[in-house]
Amino acid sequence: MTLLTRIFWLALRDLTLELRGRTGLLAAVFFLFTMLLILGLALGPNQDDLRKAAPGVLWVALAFAGSLLAGRAFGLEVEDNTLDDLLLVPGSREWLYYGKLLFQLLLLLIVGGALLFLTAGLFYLPLSALPGILVTLVLGSIGYASVSTFYAGMLARLRGREALLPLVLFPVVVPVVLASVKATASLVEGLPLGEVFNWWQLLLVFDVIYVTLCGLLFPYVLEG
Amino acid sequence: MSQTKPMNALTLGSLILGLLALGVGAFLAFTAPPDANQGHVYRIIFLHVPSAWVGLVALFIAVAYSVLYLATSKPHYDRVATAVIEVALLFLSLTLLSGMLWGRPTWGVYWTWEPRLTTFAILLVVYIGYFVVRSAIEDPELRAKASAAISILGAVNVPITYMSVKWWRSIHQTQTFDPTTGRSNFDPAMLPALLVNILAFSILFVAFVRVRSLLAEREAVRQEMSPQAG
Amino acid sequence: MSPLLEAQSLSKRYGRDWVIRGLDFRLEPGEVVALLGPNGVGKTTLLRLLAGLMRASGGRVARQGRVGLLANPPAFHRHFTGEENLSYALRLEGRSPQPGAIAAALQAVGLPPGKAVLGYSSGMKKRLAMARLRLQRPDIWLLDEPEAALDAQGRELLEALILEAKSAGGVVLATHDRGWVQRLATRTLELSPAV
Repeated sequence: MTLLTRIFWLALRDLTLELRGRTGLLAAVFFLFTMLLILGLALGPNQDDLRKAAPGVLWVALAFAGSLLAGRAFGLEVEDNTLDDLLLVPGSREWLYYGKLLFQLLLLLIVGGALLFLTAGLFYLPLSALPGILVTLVLGSIGYASVSTFYAGMLARLRGREALLPLVLFPVVVPVVLASVKATASLVEGLPLGEVFNWWQLLLVFDVIYVTLCGLLFPYVLEG
Repeated sequence: MSQTKPMNALTLGSLILGLLALGVGAFLAFTAPPDANQGHVYRIIFLHVPSAWVGLVALFIAVAYSVLYLATSKPHYDRVATAVIEVALLFLSLTLLSGMLWGRPTWGVYWTWEPRLTTFAILLVVYIGYFVVRSAIEDPELRAKASAAISILGAVNVPITYMSVKWWRSIHQTQTFDPTTGRSNFDPAMLPALLVNILAFSILFVAFVRVRSLLAEREAVRQEMSPQAG
Repeated sequence: MSPLLEAQSLSKRYGRDWVIRGLDFRLEPGEVVALLGPNGVGKTTLLRLLAGLMRASGGRVARQGRVGLLANPPAFHRHFTGEENLSYALRLEGRSPQPGAIAAALQAVGLPPGKAVLGYSSGMKKRLAMARLRLQRPDIWLLDEPEAALDAQGRELLEALILEAKSAGGVVLATHDRGWVQRLATRTLELSPAV
């Protein structure tokens, strides 16, 4: 019980700090907006073309925004040099991973929600597909955030981590992104729900594997 | 402790045995009957499948050593894990190259964006990333921990790559041995050549890893012997 | 009684350079050990190894009880006030602060409650770190040059804190100020460069 409250407090604290500092979120959303405009201009103006491209656009944009945001999970601690104080908290360190994962997931969902709203408008997504895409967004974000939080923590103290993070992150999360694209595309094309379900199942399997594995490994890869 | 540990009998023996088996395997590969549809082009499979098999299995061996390192933090396990992945990467590159050479006359292209090829390329990128990360971290303990983590998480991709032909219904041949049905999708007349080659590659793999670990150990010893150097 | 801290043949190297090699160390309850030695001899590294913030290249450390570290300089979140920093520090340990306890702790070290840490001087950060340590109540107190950046009144507060720590557990104190140490320390450990 106390473990859950601690995880919750850590996520809340980080979210408060992030909103006060603002730089990370704003940069990510602005980046996405620019990207959508460029892609819309390049692929449009035919509505069918745009609709067909939308799943790919949505997830490429989210994957890149995610790599921008990944650094934020531990960026707060590195900038203020406060990681030591978190590490000195007695007991095992898994809670630290899950707190940061929750924070990272909330960030991704905020950005992903804004992105979905923009893409739906600019790329003519059918309204009926939106609830299903929202489910895909949550499943995909969990998988993505679990790996990005893990690597962000591992590389937190390393110089040049901004360059390294995408390098180690993308190969491992590509399967998650691919499954998310496929699920979204099936929804947009209006395929039977059974088809979509297969992809959701695969995403769920990824989520469970990565969240468990990363949580188990995390205490070992941190200092100390 | 002698500072330059000599190559021991097991290493040397496996090297020689592996080369001999490779010779036998090559002979069998070229004397196996030609394929009904593909003619002689198919013979590249005697290189392609064994290197893929050994390479992919090796990645799980690397996981075992990586877990051992995280549990014990003995530098030896880190060195062996790295040696295993290095040799695995060599074998997997061979797989990719032989596949491309086969793809050109058969599919008409060296490379196509289909699931098996794509997931395989991703797999290679993960393990190339492994070495980039290693070269970027100076602190030996952090370097070892970070590499172990990549090795463990990266191995999640191995079953995905392996099963991709089934899951995504790709144009690539299905698995040579399907573990879910226990069936072999291979002509019995060609089987001995394939098995001998798999054996040869496995023995050579062991030999290469042992040599590479030995070299890494010597490097580590030398670094400790000269504290003021560098 | 078992020691609070016990290090056995502890070693750490950066690249090829050994900073600490084969060090044995024990900290018993009620002890104040002064850690002396010139800059770069490995005092901060040793404290971080003892705290478990760094993986040793060799040897091991056993800890009995909660570790508190007064880093030099101490670190806080800039966009939080002193009060917020302290209350989150407690909440993340699974403790809910008593009403008024944090305000009292801040007042005891002479800090205003509502000011963001962004506007703190380095002396004020030291004082905030002292307040945090007092609230955390560790058993093992590791202080890295605690006297740096403190004014005369701050030093008095620090001395009171060290006496408090001595009765609550054990203290390891890295410092350059030998005269000051002689009054407080029960024992000194002089570090020399590792070969």
